[in-house]
Amino acid sequence: MDLVTKQKWDNAAATFDFMSSYGPEKRWEPFKREFFSPMQGKILFLAVGTGLDIPFFPPDRDIVGIDISSKMLERATNRVAQYQGNIELHEMDVHDLPFPNGTFDQVFTSCTFCSVPDPVRGLETLKRVLKPGGELRMFEHTGSRYYPFKLLLNMMNPLSKKLGPEVNRDTVSNVRQAGFRIRQVNHVFLDVVKTIVAEAPGE
Amino acid sequence: MEKRLYFLLGDVLSNSVVGILAGLATASLVGTGWPMLIGMLVGMAIGMLVSFLGPIVFSPLFGAHEIMLPTMLSSMLAGMLFGMAAAMQSLSMGTIVGIGALLGLGITVCVWISNARLHGAQQTEH
Repeated sequence: MDLVTKQKWDNAAATFDFMSSYGPEKRWEPFKREFFSPMQGKILFLAVGTGLDIPFFPPDRDIVGIDISSKMLERATNRVAQYQGNIELHEMDVHDLPFPNGTFDQVFTSCTFCSVPDPVRGLETLKRVLKPGGELRMFEHTGSRYYPFKLLLNMMNPLSKKLGPEVNRDTVSNVRQAGFRIRQVNHVFLDVVKTIVAEAPGE
Repeated sequence: MEKRLYFLLGDVLSNSVVGILAGLATASLVGTGWPMLIGMLVGMAIGMLVSFLGPIVFSPLFGAHEIMLPTMLSSMLAGMLFGMAAAMQSLSMGTIVGIGALLGLGITVCVWISNARLHGAQQTEH
């Protein structure tokens, strides 16, 4: 397990809900509800964090939620208990998932691949645990192709990555590089906050 | 495109406040007679510092990137503008508040327009 990343997110756990639970989640709620609505089959969700996304999940789903931070997962337990369905939580590193090949029908991520240290390797691991033709659905923030936003995000990144996520990644290219077929990219805010739907290669 | 009044007002409020604060901080530091370029650079640096108010104070209320990016822009531009202006002449509090708020509003509207152009599905097969 990547202990540096784990420590960073363990440190962020205490203030995470204060910074993220009201404004950002209320703002993204309509997009997330719609984006999570096609959940079906055996689902892997990463990184579940303090469980801020759980209220937006459709009920009666079978979900495995993982996060690298045990402190984050401790804070997620109340939200898991309130969910009308099945959520199992595990402390895991996406680079090193112990699930057998082809375990999941779908993998969901929510603001995750801004923080995974080796994003392409992490995405390759997701491809391995997805069934052939399985679906990867990501709600992520990335860098921008447009000025002045590109410049601002590049300026912010050195500080941002010390405290939490990187803010200038090209996650769409990373998904493609990991061997997925991209089906849809949908911009939620500028070209920075976006949803990505991709498919694992078939047999 | 955001249509909820709470968030629209939050966008305007956060950008106007950082525009005003960056202006006030810059005008209090940059003196009349400074070279304009130095005034602008000092103002930009002050604007960068003030821009931390966006994510710290306003993001928990109104949104993450939707607040962070525009307020950073408003703050830095206000710092640069008032840095140059303060190098040329002394500025009244009313002028700084009025122009700082207008600049914040202007940036907010520009970001709304940019978002309306970029928002939505980009590609369906690749």
